[in-house]
Amino acid sequence: MIRLRDYDRLLIIATLMLLVMGLLMVYSTSSVVALKRFGNQYFFVKKQLTYVLAGVICFVGATRVPYGFYRRMAYPILILSALALICIYIPGLGFTAGGARRWVRLGPIAFQPSEPAKLAVIFFLAYSLAAKQEKIKEFSIGFLPNILIPGVIILLIMLEPDLGTSIALASIVLLLNFIAGVRIRYLLYLVLAAAPFIYVVIHKFSYMMTRIMIFLDPWKDPEGKGFQMVQSFLAFGAGGVRGVGLGEGKQKLFYLPEAHTDFILSVIGEELGFIGVAAVTALYALFLYCGIKIAMKARDRHGMYLALGLTFMVVLQAAFNSAVVMGLLPPKGLPLPFISYGGTSLLVNMIAVGVLLNIYIHGNEA
Amino acid sequence: MRKRGTKSSSQYLNLRIYLVLGFFILFFSAILFRAFQLQVLDTKDLKSMAMRQHKRTVNVQSKRGDIYDRNSKELAVSIEVDSVYAQPGKIESPRSAAKALAPVLSMDRREIEKKIRSATNFVWLKRQVDLRDEERKAVAELEGVGIMKESRRYYPNRQLASNLIGFTGLDANGLEGIELHYDGMLKGASHKFVGDRDARGRMIVFEDFDKTVPVQGMEVELTIDKTIQYVAEKALRKAVEASGAKAAEVLVMNPTTGEVLAMASMPTFDPNDFSSTTPRHWRNRAVTDVFEPGSVFKLFLISAAIEENAVRPQDGFFCENGSYGVADRVFHDHDKYGWLTVAQIIKYSSNIGSAKIGDRLGKNRLYRYLKAYGFGDKTGIDLPGESAGSLRPLKNWSDVTLATISFGQGVSVTGLQLITALSAVANGGFLMKPYVVKSVRDANGKVVSETNPTIVRRVISEETARKMTDMLVSVTHEGGTGVKASLDEFEVAGKTGTAQKPDFKHGGYLKGAFVASFFGFVPARSPRLAILVAIDEPNGEHYGGTIAGPVFKEIAEKSLSYMGVFRERKGSTKVEFVEADAAKSTAKAGSDEEFGPAAVPDFTGKTVRSVLRMAKGRSFDVNVMGSGKAVSQKPAPGQNLPTKGPVVVFFQ
Repeated sequence: MIRLRDYDRLLIIATLMLLVMGLLMVYSTSSVVALKRFGNQYFFVKKQLTYVLAGVICFVGATRVPYGFYRRMAYPILILSALALICIYIPGLGFTAGGARRWVRLGPIAFQPSEPAKLAVIFFLAYSLAAKQEKIKEFSIGFLPNILIPGVIILLIMLEPDLGTSIALASIVLLLNFIAGVRIRYLLYLVLAAAPFIYVVIHKFSYMMTRIMIFLDPWKDPEGKGFQMVQSFLAFGAGGVRGVGLGEGKQKLFYLPEAHTDFILSVIGEELGFIGVAAVTALYALFLYCGIKIAMKARDRHGMYLALGLTFMVVLQAAFNSAVVMGLLPPKGLPLPFISYGGTSLLVNMIAVGVLLNIYIHGNEA
Repeated sequence: MRKRGTKSSSQYLNLRIYLVLGFFILFFSAILFRAFQLQVLDTKDLKSMAMRQHKRTVNVQSKRGDIYDRNSKELAVSIEVDSVYAQPGKIESPRSAAKALAPVLSMDRREIEKKIRSATNFVWLKRQVDLRDEERKAVAELEGVGIMKESRRYYPNRQLASNLIGFTGLDANGLEGIELHYDGMLKGASHKFVGDRDARGRMIVFEDFDKTVPVQGMEVELTIDKTIQYVAEKALRKAVEASGAKAAEVLVMNPTTGEVLAMASMPTFDPNDFSSTTPRHWRNRAVTDVFEPGSVFKLFLISAAIEENAVRPQDGFFCENGSYGVADRVFHDHDKYGWLTVAQIIKYSSNIGSAKIGDRLGKNRLYRYLKAYGFGDKTGIDLPGESAGSLRPLKNWSDVTLATISFGQGVSVTGLQLITALSAVANGGFLMKPYVVKSVRDANGKVVSETNPTIVRRVISEETARKMTDMLVSVTHEGGTGVKASLDEFEVAGKTGTAQKPDFKHGGYLKGAFVASFFGFVPARSPRLAILVAIDEPNGEHYGGTIAGPVFKEIAEKSLSYMGVFRERKGSTKVEFVEADAAKSTAKAGSDEEFGPAAVPDFTGKTVRSVLRMAKGRSFDVNVMGSGKAVSQKPAPGQNLPTKGPVVVFFQ
């Protein structure tokens, strides 16, 4: 019998259920495309299964590493991560996919440095906020480093360009700073100061502007620019309360681009209905609940901020993704944690769960 | 030990965490509400929009089934051709696409461009074209332009049996003839169907979705024999061209079974290019058109009179020297006759004699027999547009009506009715249901339906039929009206007809407009073929015997020779025939001869009816056990006949 207080087990259950849901939906959404493109309907789901297995290994590994390690290694990891982000621009290492330089290839492995960069920023912030707890209200000690250093990473990500990840990461930074007690006044100034900058970036990359216009009125051009959004709405609508049944969805048949990655929730909506969407949302809510509980029971501030940061990383991205595919936020290109097809994101999220469990274990020992 | 910060910073820590938690709860609530809105509140609208884009009625043309003659020779086949379409939304420059396509499709560039600019997402550019490989490649290279395989109907024999077979339109729908009547079977189970399509407009068809692939059309095998059809058409065309007739029709039937072996009309057309002709050319006149039969009708009167014992063949009637008044009307014969026997009345085709026989038979009985022969009713043949003709109700018959109908005026019939009724005389009295489709098979060759001979009713006795045959044979003998239809090798039983055409505008009859006809069966005493020839409005010579008789002769002669029916003993009144090996093509009528005299024939697979027919007139009896098709027999096929007792045949 699992009680509501067994945060560790509940967290694992939530994660596993999301992973299973992910495998099912990746198969359902990608089999048609995979068959057409690679002649093998299991092409994507096989790869995803490999990522899940690798993710489980990372998870187990992360549970074994005392989280104090991330305090000591905060700077090295941060620097490594920044270097990886710069590697994107080195010919031969970095490569472009879909109009953005987001990938680095090391030997046979290709990964998106922006994903581990999220971990690096959270590791750093948890360390930094905990260390400067006494002087958190001071501008130059409590605020500046905790904004500027993550800001560099965020800027690097934004320039890829990957606005979605940078906004998600910026949100985590703000939330952590807020919780740690940084003056709200500073945070507000920061947002105000960043606004014109973000505006310039959006204009520089015209696709972002388009995305915002689409968000404002996707039905204006349903056959063209609004196509993806409208198709996502149609998928949700077609699903109704109970859905059309697993594998029975039609929207994934080339209507919904990226059905197996960013728009996988739309297909869940179509095939499993409102019930399925509510269930997925509930699983993330459970994840949030466990994460926050683990954080509040953490042995120290470092553990607490670390747990909160990692929890926000997963749940905020889930919320952003859901909001985007339902047209509540402008499109950003964020995968749905544990569910969307994709290796780097999955590994990073599995590490996060591992670290959370380690924090829980240490919190209970105390 | 937990490290704690200063009071001021940790004081509100939990509060801040709960604030963030609250933020998330709001966020998730918004998501859930939005999902509820999309999936519960707006689901109907969105669902129907999604359906509209997924579902698409696609004209996937399953291969239309072929039409064969009775010997599996192709009469109508389907071939795959290319149809070029465009998806305007995917074409960036309609102008350059049109420019590239114009030479390939040999179409005007502007015309193509106009089609591409149309506000649909799918448009045919040109259908059913024959493209060369390099042209096909050129089309395939263009974005938004594609080729769909369509099946096009092709009639390899062109005019042959075109009025019977009919033709299909561009969308492969049967429009006339067999193509129309059997359209449902020929075109396959799902001609048009609604399918899922992906965003690129392609049909989603995978290995495991085989169900969506339309079922191929079924094959139809006709009773028509291509060779006999050809012979009949050739003879008919010759006569029509020689006489300058307006129209003509010919029918060849197996009188035993009611199978139509040939059915042709003039004018005719090439179904590969039907649109260059008019509906006048498409009509299957033998089935759709009615005419006054004239003298050929006397045959049915006299057979009724003999059956009813009202007259005997040798009874004499005074033919009034060519002029005979009934009520206010005066009837004439083409020659002045005194006393004629019933047989002579047929032979010389006396109207007055017929009127007198009709008078003796009475209108009640004549009407009853004409109805029994099937006049005034559709035969129910499996072809579209059949006419019933008209036989006025008995209560409207006056004495004049009785007289005119006795020699075939004041009644209208189809050629098919005439040949079917004549076949009843030929086969010993049974009115058979005529048919043109022998069997229908699915694409795998499995027989879906098979037509077996159907007896509608017995009209006259075998005895009467025999007497009629004797009299009809004299028609083609020296002095008879049908002498030009006589064959050197075989006795022909037949009757001529030279009917005036009624004037529907002014009443009475059109001057100089005749339907010249001859119908008969051959060999007279073991008939294999019943043939009707009717020629509408020949110029000049208009006697049925002179115009239609030679056509009959040519068809009969060539067909019998083709069928391998040869005369065995010359000069005998009782003519017997042997069947050559090549004769498998025709009816079962004479199949007794296939077997040696002493051995038991193989009955397996045969119906009760045909087994009994095979056994008829042979030296053994058959015991029928069960029903259906014969599965086994005692003694086995090829063994000697049992010295006593019957052959037992088991059916299942």
